[in-house]
Amino acid sequence: MKNLFRVLAVGLALSVVAVACGSDEAKVEYGAGVTEDTVRVGAIADLSGAFAPLVVQIIDAQQSYWDKVNADGGIAGRQVDFVVEDNGYDVTTHLEKYELMRDPDNGVVLLSQSTGSPHTAAIAEMLVEDGLAAIPLSWYSAWPDPDFGENVFESYSNYCYESINGVEFLRDYMASEMGNDSPTLAILSFPGEYGQDGAAGAKIAAEALGIEIVHDGEATVIPGADQTPIISALVEADADMVWTTINPSGLAGIMGGAAAEGYVPLWSGNVPSFSYLLLGTALGPLFDTNYIVNSYIVTWNTDGVEGLDEMKAWMGENNPDLPVSDAYIIGWTEAMAAHQALEQAAANGDLTRAGVIAAFNEVTVDYKGLAPNQSWGGDANDTVVRETYSYDVVLADYDDGATIADGGGTGTALLRGPWVSDITKAQTYDGACFKTGG
Amino acid sequence: MRSVRGRPSLYTSYEAETRLFPTRVQQVALGVFVLVILLMPFDLPVIDQLPVIRFLDENYWLKVVNKALIFVIAALGLNLLSGLAGQISLGHAFFMGVGAYTAVLLGGPDSGRLWGYGLPIWIWLPAAGIAAALVGVLVAPAAVRVRGLYLGIATIGLVFIGLHLSRVFPEVAGPGALGRKWPRLEFRIWKEEEPFLDLTRKGKWLWFEVTQHQKTYFFLLVLVALFAVVSANLARSRTGRSWAAIRDRDIAAEIMGVPEFRAKTTAFAISSFYAGVAGALLASFSIQFNPEAWDLLLSVEFLAILLIGGMGRVSGALAGTFFVILTPHFVERFAHWMGDQAEGEGLMSGFWDGFVSIGSGDFGFVSVSQTALGFPLPVAALDEIIYGALIIAFLLFEPQGLYGMWVKVRNYWKGWPFSY
Repeated sequence: MKNLFRVLAVGLALSVVAVACGSDEAKVEYGAGVTEDTVRVGAIADLSGAFAPLVVQIIDAQQSYWDKVNADGGIAGRQVDFVVEDNGYDVTTHLEKYELMRDPDNGVVLLSQSTGSPHTAAIAEMLVEDGLAAIPLSWYSAWPDPDFGENVFESYSNYCYESINGVEFLRDYMASEMGNDSPTLAILSFPGEYGQDGAAGAKIAAEALGIEIVHDGEATVIPGADQTPIISALVEADADMVWTTINPSGLAGIMGGAAAEGYVPLWSGNVPSFSYLLLGTALGPLFDTNYIVNSYIVTWNTDGVEGLDEMKAWMGENNPDLPVSDAYIIGWTEAMAAHQALEQAAANGDLTRAGVIAAFNEVTVDYKGLAPNQSWGGDANDTVVRETYSYDVVLADYDDGATIADGGGTGTALLRGPWVSDITKAQTYDGACFKTGG
Repeated sequence: MRSVRGRPSLYTSYEAETRLFPTRVQQVALGVFVLVILLMPFDLPVIDQLPVIRFLDENYWLKVVNKALIFVIAALGLNLLSGLAGQISLGHAFFMGVGAYTAVLLGGPDSGRLWGYGLPIWIWLPAAGIAAALVGVLVAPAAVRVRGLYLGIATIGLVFIGLHLSRVFPEVAGPGALGRKWPRLEFRIWKEEEPFLDLTRKGKWLWFEVTQHQKTYFFLLVLVALFAVVSANLARSRTGRSWAAIRDRDIAAEIMGVPEFRAKTTAFAISSFYAGVAGALLASFSIQFNPEAWDLLLSVEFLAILLIGGMGRVSGALAGTFFVILTPHFVERFAHWMGDQAEGEGLMSGFWDGFVSIGSGDFGFVSVSQTALGFPLPVAALDEIIYGALIIAFLLFEPQGLYGMWVKVRNYWKGWPFSY
């Protein structure tokens, strides 16, 4: 009788312990942005301004990712509440929306997107004050520098390193495909931290590889202005290859204008210079034969990428009417990075804002083949991503106006990537390539 | 000396007639208004019951209000130029840019690639206004040669000149899309390390804990009060009367002896001073400002503010600014509220559910989840549609703006029950 009693008592004690251990999930420490049942993740994005068409697609992909996370059970037993605010590409509005995000009672635990370089630079100091992490939608090479953006956790590589890799790839391509062993280079870029960062990288590569720059158009292309003088100068210089750090409409105008004057070099440029939608215009065939696409990530058509297949499967089921686009991969990977940091924070038992920052500095994000794996903790020179991808344009694989349900393509085929040039590998990272001095 | 009690339209002296707030009712209303706006940023029981402004003390809204106050200063300037003097100017963004760049040149830190002298705010803020005023004086002769629509077109050119200069001088404006950091809103005597009053950090005033938004709010309130009083006084002074004559018919005014050139130059100079100060404050308030922001759209926004608020009136400029700045935020919050109602179980949730689309596949006119442009309308597009529709509606039905609407309401009740 006594033994039975003892056995029962031990059994009771054990079951109590088991129940207590079973609810470990709820024992995670939390603070601003997290409650017993929700984790609030924020994004301040350009939904109505200059970059709206692109950013809207990125946000749609992020929203889709968070829906998937919620369907799979959420984070630490909590559902993710994805809050998007519009900044209209205006710095003052960005700051106003940031007030909503930083609020200790109704704010967020991290910003999985902050659109715009000046906008993110404006909140950089406040992010440190509030202990909030943010993922920027900008690839300026200053973000890995802790003096410029300590709590800003950049995605993938940057304009500068992309240019170095890209110019070397162009040189290799010219040698192997076009039989030109010493091609000349022309550089065209916007003024500002995007254009001049890209141009800086192109110049580093040209110097290291001994390529002659016959036309230095750094900071000469003004968005929206008449490009005739640029085109004339370019045609006169007659370079074999042109590196552009501009935007799709500028690229179309300049390429078309140059071709009209009979000048058809090998064109390439940074990610924002190109848009797959250009393949649907009259310039499509020119892009097919004379343009090399660069990117930090894979594009929609790439085969054999686990993350891409997962993304297409989920979005095909849940967002079948959205048009096919390469931009979704940006949003999906941003959300992946945020998700993995949050999971790390939950595993550490600390879902406070500070805990999320610590998690970002600890975690290595596995993008499942969508982009090079990434970490942020430690010396920037060790963690900065140097790999990029180069693609050939295949017009036959471009399906104009296709939706995800149709299963169409965006017209690019992977040539090389993820790869890093020796020059990029040898670069010591000590701040941005294009320094702005303040 | 005020008007006779019970007979508000009877004035027995010139001073009484030209007083800013002649009647007892207006003076009491002003007193209440001043009390409310002074106490608004604090969480006080009575203020918290008032309908619209009860939530304005939250950080987010206070920041929006602060931005609106800066815009009020610029709107008052444009009001003097376009409303009182009748000179259509689309170059207001240019003058704001001139003020901002002067401020950053004088007040910003000097570094390798950027110019700056690091001077304190009591130098760079007035200097911003003065520099813009001087540029305004240079531009004024154009107004003597052309008028109306043609002057408007000529002033558009100013905006593009400003944008071009900002690209030619990245040492002042900062590189292309990134811009640079503006000097903070803090007060020092000279170039010391620690400011004696810092509006960008929270602190303690007397026995209150104040946030940076509340501090900035009071500073801006003082400036707005100053500029508004100067503006109202200018309107009833000799200069103001000469502007009114120019506005109505400048050739006739010249014949009557109003010096056209001097009046127009003064109008440009003073309005540009206002714009310069507002531009410097706006850039400083935004911390990092990119040069492309001083564009034509900003100039048009001020014109819209005056059209909606009522040209020629200080209260019109005030009402118009708050209306134009706050409405998009209200629309966004309202759309989110609609989304919550649609998901919830209130009385009207069925209606909201039909009106709002919550997820993909759900029918609705307005979407709170998807941001893709198209149908259903994303919230961001709703803002723009309402903004445009309001401008058209005001131009068609109430050209006097909100002030005109107020006058109509007031006259109706003045004559009640005999209003017809």
